[in-house]
Amino acid sequence: MREMIDIIVDSKTYKAQNGSLLIDLLIREKIKVPYFCYHESLGADGNCRMCMVEIEGQKRPQIACDTLIKPNMQVRSNSENICKVRTDILELELINHPVDCPTCDQAGECSLQDFYMDYGLHNTKITIQEKVKHAKHVDLGSNVMLDQERCVLCARCTRFTDKITHTHELGIIGRGDEAKVSTMPGRKLDNPYAMNVVDLCPVGALTSKDFRFHQRVWFLQTSNSVCHGCAKGCNIYIDHNKMKYQDDVIYRFRPRRNDAVNGFFICDEGRLSYKDLQENRQESILLYEEETQENKALQELKNLIENYKEKITLIVDANLFTDEIEALVAFAKSISATLYSPLEIYKDENFKDDMLKSANRAANYKTIENLNINTTLPTKNALVINFNHPLDFEADVQINFTTHKRGKNRLTFPIAAFSENAGHLTNEDSIMQECQKAVFKNNPAPTIVEWLQKVRS
Amino acid sequence: MNFIFTEENLIKIEALKLRYPSPQALCLPCLWMAQHQEGYISINAIDAISETLGIAPMEVYRVATFYTMFHLEPQEKLNVQVCKTLSCKLCGSDAILEHLKNKEVNIIHTECLGSCGTAPVMQINDTFYENLTPEKVDAILKELL
Ligand code: SF4
Ligand code: SF4
Ligand code: FES
Ligand code: FES
Repeated sequence: MREMIDIIVDSKTYKAQNGSLLIDLLIREKIKVPYFCYHESLGADGNCRMCMVEIEGQKRPQIACDTLIKPNMQVRSNSENICKVRTDILELELINHPVDCPTCDQAGECSLQDFYMDYGLHNTKITIQEKVKHAKHVDLGSNVMLDQERCVLCARCTRFTDKITHTHELGIIGRGDEAKVSTMPGRKLDNPYAMNVVDLCPVGALTSKDFRFHQRVWFLQTSNSVCHGCAKGCNIYIDHNKMKYQDDVIYRFRPRRNDAVNGFFICDEGRLSYKDLQENRQESILLYEEETQENKALQELKNLIENYKEKITLIVDANLFTDEIEALVAFAKSISATLYSPLEIYKDENFKDDMLKSANRAANYKTIENLNINTTLPTKNALVINFNHPLDFEADVQINFTTHKRGKNRLTFPIAAFSENAGHLTNEDSIMQECQKAVFKNNPAPTIVEWLQKVRS
Repeated sequence: MNFIFTEENLIKIEALKLRYPSPQALCLPCLWMAQHQEGYISINAIDAISETLGIAPMEVYRVATFYTMFHLEPQEKLNVQVCKTLSCKLCGSDAILEHLKNKEVNIIHTECLGSCGTAPVMQINDTFYENLTPEKVDAILKELL
């Protein structure tokens, strides 16, 4: 641990580690400083020159991303002179930038737009008729589209493939106004984390083929959640919107920073798993495959529980929230049922890698283990009540509480998916995390806890 | 088509490895060797360099695209680099350029080639042609084309 010292920024005193990066302090203390190329996950590159600040005793402005904090440092982040410098740099940046904002998917979450509103707002002094032309629709692969004209050459995307995934697909080729981001001729951006470059890109140069043109970002509501793709439990934002007269729809997952779990990133498979929450969902209550009334189905369920006393097996999906699993443990006790959560089915060694992905593809298997639930396959089954476990079981009668449509069964109850419910998960490293309720459906399926209340009453 | 460095070049590369602190530093000499071997730098050659040096193909490709003297396509016409800087200009590079216009060559304007004393000067591949006159240009091209 380095020694803590005082430094002064804009005549206020802050505590900071001696020798740490000045820009980290500015970001942490929410002191406004524009920057393109610096990113906390990628470190300093010093190529964009946007992060200039004035430092007492230094003749010229310095870049904050490459300045180490020293004792007695005095920094000015918003003097008249420094704002002028930023305007000038921005003006250079904008010489060849296309006026695409109305059709650009990044508009609304674009650093260049924001900085222009903060430091630009100038009429251009450049009278060139023809801006430099580059390719506008380059399919880099892995769902990533590149618009070379919008690129500010910050090299965040290339540094991601160099330093984070070590796959080296992207590079800045050529020089001067011919410089552009590219893959090798005939080769693609191809790694399981590729779509993170879309989040890293500060402008609209890299956009997601999956998300672009589906929704303007300022319409989106954002909720905190946790990916259910595997036991890592990467933290995510769920971006969703309920348009007038329509249902609440998820448009994308984005990584949410959590240094203890996933850092800044998520894998592409997890990112795209939001689709699964909106496809093939079970919506109605079924009795012998026929739609039925809730009270009729509940009566049938109560009768079955009564008839099969002592011969009931409850199966629990290891992706359910801890709150739900605990409720099911109590429920099993109250009807003297045995509880199982077969975990073998979730194992997928092919999925595992040494970045984030875990071979355990169940978000909450740790809780199953912590609660000492039997994780083997049940053998003798008379009545099986399955709470969303992916397996089907040999049984006299099977009842399903399920998010998604599945095979023929005596009774089927639809349940809310994790995005439509709030709760907790414990990841494979025993870190407990919280999911907010994100999506509010027009006709929401009850949660498991709600169903259990109905069964009891 | 695969690219393989000649035995001679491989020996050179091994010798150079001892001279530089990092394999990246060998990128430029390797690109030159590849260009001399094939007349241009193919993607296969870039892969071969990346393998020889143990660095990513993209690292080599970035360097190759940065310098205008590396050709990434087969060169159909002869590349003639004509100096257009002061001494050559005063000594008649305009006439040389004008004269070349009607020839089946690719004209590249360059800055001072560092041979002002023998202006006007042009460079074809690795050879300087000095004290040029239109007649001299004709003779040189006759030889080369
Ligand atoms: S990248 Fe930003 S500034 Fe450029 S067109 Fe898109 S929204 Fe506008
Ligand atoms: S594509 Fe985006 S992230 Fe990559 S260099 Fe350009 S602006 Fe930066
Ligand atoms: S953020 Fe400092 S130079 Fe780009
Ligand atoms: S000016 Fe032509 S060689 Fe120097």
